Amino acid sequence: MTNNIDRVLRERKGIQLMTHVVAGYPSLDMNVELIRLMAKHGVRLVEIQIPFTDPLADGPTIMRANQAALDQGITPDHCFELGAALAKELPDMGFIFMTYANIPFAMGMDHFLNRAAASGASGIILPDLAWDEPGGDYADLAQERGLHPIMVISPDTEEARLEKILTRASGLLYTTLKVGITGAGATLDQGGLDYVRDLKKKAGLPIAAGFGISSPEHVAMLRGLADVAVMGSHILNLLDHQGLEAVQDFLAACG
Amino acid sequence: MSRISQMLPRHFGPYGGRYVPEMLVPALKELAQGYGQCKQDPQFQAQLTDLYHNYCGRPTPLYFADKLTKTLGGCKIYLKLEGLAHTGAHKINNALAQALLALRLGKTKIIAETGAGQHGLASATAAARCGLQCTVFMGEVDIRRQYPNVYAMKLLGAEVIPVTDGTKTLKDAVNATLKYWIQHLEDTHYILGSALGPFPFPVIVRDFQSIIGREVRTQILEREKRLPNHLVACVGGGSNAMGLFHPFLHESGIRFHGAEAGGRGPKIGDHAARFTNTPKVGIAQGYKSYFLQNDHGQLQDTHSVSAGLDYAGVGPELAWLYDQQLVEFSAITDVQALEAFTILTRLEGIIPALESAHAVARAMELAPTLPQDEIMVVNISGRGDKDIFITARELDRNNWMAFLKREVEDDQ
Ligand SMILES: Cc1ncc(COP(=O)(O)O)c(C=O)c1O
Repeated sequence: MTNNIDRVLRERKGIQLMTHVVAGYPSLDMNVELIRLMAKHGVRLVEIQIPFTDPLADGPTIMRANQAALDQGITPDHCFELGAALAKELPDMGFIFMTYANIPFAMGMDHFLNRAAASGASGIILPDLAWDEPGGDYADLAQERGLHPIMVISPDTEEARLEKILTRASGLLYTTLKVGITGAGATLDQGGLDYVRDLKKKAGLPIAAGFGISSPEHVAMLRGLADVAVMGSHILNLLDHQGLEAVQDFLAACG
Repeated sequence: MSRISQMLPRHFGPYGGRYVPEMLVPALKELAQGYGQCKQDPQFQAQLTDLYHNYCGRPTPLYFADKLTKTLGGCKIYLKLEGLAHTGAHKINNALAQALLALRLGKTKIIAETGAGQHGLASATAAARCGLQCTVFMGEVDIRRQYPNVYAMKLLGAEVIPVTDGTKTLKDAVNATLKYWIQHLEDTHYILGSALGPFPFPVIVRDFQSIIGREVRTQILEREKRLPNHLVACVGGGSNAMGLFHPFLHESGIRFHGAEAGGRGPKIGDHAARFTNTPKVGIAQGYKSYFLQNDHGQLQDTHSVSAGLDYAGVGPELAWLYDQQLVEFSAITDVQALEAFTILTRLEGIIPALESAHAVARAMELAPTLPQDEIMVVNISGRGDKDIFITARELDRNNWMAFLKREVEDDQ
């Protein structure tokens, strides 16, 4: 079976949007509605974040969404069920589970990956599970189950480490555009864009770029450089302050 | 220093490590390298020693608590008075040393998390002394209960940023500081205040705090011509405990006792006793250790009357020492800590920090069961001035409330 991430990136020309939703925020029902809307506007890659109490790489918008979801009693089970329902309804979509190390650690990595694969996911992102720590090198385990281990790097990642990361990464290599945390920003850093250009040449993998993308212009700036533009906080902010319609307008403008 | 091997340990058994987003790796590597160099550099060490003596007031006294010993009727009790160090707690040992390290690394700004405010105060002080800009992150709950330290930090020129996320206490202050650091790596050093977090912080903090145990060794040999049988310390993240214990860990025949926050009792959210019930290993805040967490791996709410012990995790080296049954942990409730606070104050004329009062309470449980020819050293990690808003409310409520009211009214 072809992995949906591979299929999306092969079939589609031009830059793809990858959106980020926090499972259970503002509610599981709203997640479904939001992702349907995204699908309608051509989004084919969606990160579903399994909420965690201490999300180290997330800025205020996503962190608060994590907290609100947990306050409503969202568990990893709910997230896998959400993923499974969506994968059934939207079979062309590439779903990626994103969370922090302690969630798979508490569940057992094998079990976590089994659940993710059984839910129809195509990839996994675990930003604080360092590949050079005991129990952190999960790439093979993921690939055995048809899941791409999507590694997150930054413009500051040393060459030697990048090489080791590239031996593990598959499907998509995710680079942040700045050294920082998630959050909508006003401008994209030129250094970040240059980094993406260089990375694309040497990585031999499709490149996703994210952190700070918050306008159709930002997406346009990444055209020809990155294969995927990742958008999380900005869409959450739109949803929080202006509702689904604003998200719809925004996605249409990016398209 | 010679006892510690050249390679900085990144793991303690299965614990510790560097579980961070890739973008923090370069800064942590730079820090490990910089620290490794400072450790070998006699000039750095001489500068630090000079400041310890002439600025911090080290060595701090090792005081024989005659009346406490007689009252409890067991082993001889000595108190290591870290509360007499500049800024009132052991935290200055680490903060000042890391501020010097920050200068070596070419940083112009330092940031720190704080719970009780003692580490924030020590960092603000070290920053003022070293000409560094200082920002301190502190949970909203802790800002309220440790206001004297908040005021002092501001007086020293530090900016204090309230943390309003999660539990609004130490754990969330650590998260906020780590996130700020990720965004300001270029010019900023993070002075982590306890022996926790990603490598190399646990080893840096432990090494700088080990001055406590090294002094105790010299002092007790002078007084008693032999080593102690028992060492007692309170354990939040574990910096004062590791500082006292570490220089003695290779000795046989010493028992190490850690006092955790038993809070209001064993219910979830009522305590910060990580080693009671069935301790659970997890990965959070950049390291692997024991964390109070639910079955899904979500960190749990904690409570303690003392802000410094009110933390869901524990330093990785202590986790490993627990597994090896080298350090024995017990939970001390809020009530026990306040009782010990009062007793030490009245018997010895020493007002301990509420954190340290947990160690005193543990000593009071142990001492009567131990033979009179044994020696115990209890770390009084800080003094109790900062806790006035808690202790006065608990122990002298009516007068205290009337005083506060009068102060506010007079001002209007
Ligand atoms: C006086 C005092 N003792 C102990 C602690 C607990 O920290 P640690 O376990 O790192 O010594 C604190 C922390 O704020 C403190 O202020």
